[in-house]
Amino acid sequence: MYGWTGNILRVNLTTKTYKKEPFSEEFAHKWVGGRGFASKILYDEVKPGTDPLGPDNKLIVALGPIAGIPAPNTGKCVVAAKSPLTGFYGDGNLGTRVSEQLRKAGYDAMIVEGKADRPTMIYIEDNKVEFLPADAVWGQGTYATNDWIYGKYGAGVGVLNIGQGGENMNRFAVIRSLEGRAGGRPGIGAVMGSKLLKAIVVKGTHPIPQADPAAMKALGIGDLKKVHKIDQETGWSKQSTTGVLQFCNEVAGLPVRNFRKTQHPEAWHIDGERLNNARVATYGCPNCTMRCGITIHDDAGHESELDYENIALLGSNLEIFDLPQVGCLNYLCDEYGLDTMSAGCVLSFYADAVDHGATDGDFKFGDAIRAKQLLHMAAHREGKVGNLLADGSLRMARAFGHNSEAYAMQVKGLEVAAYNCKFIPGQALAFGVSPIGAHHREAWIITFEINHTTRESYGPEKAAKVIELQRIRGGMFEFLVACRFPWIELGWPLDNYPKYFNTITSLNWTLDDMWATADRVYSMIKLNYLREFPNTDRKADYPPAVWFDPSNADKEGPIAGKVLELDKYDGLLQHYYDQRGYDSRGIPTKATLSKVGLDAEAAEAERFATLT
Amino acid sequence: MKIKVKLIGPLIYETGFSEKEIEMAGAPTVEAVLALLAISTHRPKIITRNGKAVALHELLENGDTLAISPIYSGG
Repeated sequence: MYGWTGNILRVNLTTKTYKKEPFSEEFAHKWVGGRGFASKILYDEVKPGTDPLGPDNKLIVALGPIAGIPAPNTGKCVVAAKSPLTGFYGDGNLGTRVSEQLRKAGYDAMIVEGKADRPTMIYIEDNKVEFLPADAVWGQGTYATNDWIYGKYGAGVGVLNIGQGGENMNRFAVIRSLEGRAGGRPGIGAVMGSKLLKAIVVKGTHPIPQADPAAMKALGIGDLKKVHKIDQETGWSKQSTTGVLQFCNEVAGLPVRNFRKTQHPEAWHIDGERLNNARVATYGCPNCTMRCGITIHDDAGHESELDYENIALLGSNLEIFDLPQVGCLNYLCDEYGLDTMSAGCVLSFYADAVDHGATDGDFKFGDAIRAKQLLHMAAHREGKVGNLLADGSLRMARAFGHNSEAYAMQVKGLEVAAYNCKFIPGQALAFGVSPIGAHHREAWIITFEINHTTRESYGPEKAAKVIELQRIRGGMFEFLVACRFPWIELGWPLDNYPKYFNTITSLNWTLDDMWATADRVYSMIKLNYLREFPNTDRKADYPPAVWFDPSNADKEGPIAGKVLELDKYDGLLQHYYDQRGYDSRGIPTKATLSKVGLDAEAAEAERFATLT
Repeated sequence: MKIKVKLIGPLIYETGFSEKEIEMAGAPTVEAVLALLAISTHRPKIITRNGKAVALHELLENGDTLAISPIYSGG
């Protein structure tokens, strides 16, 4: 078997034991890696009803056949667990040297079980695993922790670590690596914290098994140079992802004031042009030649690495239009190990709830000073307010009452990414049917809606586009484990990816094989969801109610007077279900599950829920 | 007539400005504005007039805001 090391490392923090477990060729071909491995392992090993923050939850670190190989852009890994934010399967990816080091150590994935009896760091070097005390950095932020680890092992090791947010089990705590990398939006950092696991450090010394290493090296390095050339020609990394802020502001898709507004005249203060002007450094992931991490000095002098999602959700969405202040909020999230997107939505929800009298409080839109204090409180679960914030916007809304859930900007508990879908039906669908909650990673179709169809349409073409992109973005890139940016931002052709996969594995897969695997993985995640929520219905796939509220319509601008229409959205959702082979609840039918090879998993699900 | 032109992302560096008002005679098409500003149509772009998608052949009106952007894909 080429392309996979063929081994999973299982580590138990309770017993301080570990073992190297081989997996079969059949398993490799069926699940490939990354999200495929993680969704299957969690389904098999974490039973429904398990406390996400208890010792029986498991943390998965998963790589894929092209992870860590020098080729565009393979320096990523998937982290997953049962989510403390959403209550079912959650995952994320982040740029890290773990992608290469864990594979060189001889593993394609790692399962972390149990709970340590003191703050712990796991150190892996090939076949050796050590359980080391991490008391020295418990209570420290992610930057200090990273420096402490580099001081011990050098900067070439792979590192995954958490900050105070994860330690205190903030439900939107992430895992961090390198300078600005973060992943695991649905609270995967909190799962690490619940296990008293401060960091995982990996060093590998063996070559990654490949069918034709020389051919892959020539292909991969040649393509890295080509991607770099395209980036230079197009100028994409001048602003990286942040160029989209002005676009969203122009077409009334920017989150402003907890998504109540879609445009703001001051948005230019925090746009990509201003960010590029303020740039002091640029960072990227391993094996990347189009580095997107634009760093500025924040108002306290820290280096803060910004992208679109955090300037929009910590900036315009809070009506803070001062770039160094936004940079500081972002820096604090990174330091505490909090997801910047959920943090922005949680703070904006709190300000909105105060504004609408749903709760008492002193936080107002535009108040950057108080926002910083609240982030500290959320990361440390300080006081009643800190605890409320740390539980995410859905739980806050249920605590506040007064119909505030209508403007808690989340789906299935995961906060919405930085696209205001007040009148963008297809993107609202993309958030609604994202398998882990409202993540933009799975599908993003706003330019398609505006440029290739009509914004007003709720037609089947939008459901089809969401599925097409889910197969690519949430599917192939998440189980091969590579960054989607060369394709999505620079137009790097998709058929390069089966080429890399085949060169490494000696298989002969086509893109259609990738899409079939993507559908299997999506169905696997849906079964993870169903088993936790057996009484679910299609309303779980509705976006926040405020987007349907006519009183929330823009008063002026390109979508003046318009909001989403519920009956039409429901029709669009049905198009999606029909095309996917899902039932009226949004769950794959038995026939669909059989088609993607999940008969055994379906039988397991039927012990807890009904399939149709 | 006066048209406000906004450029987004890398187009700013290719063209040398991010926003300016231009004067054109008659009712120009979108394509005519691009030609005047020497903005290449070589790479795919999304162009909006007052926040709504507009085609190259469409005629502009006095006071319109034209935003020209590369095709973003949501990161």
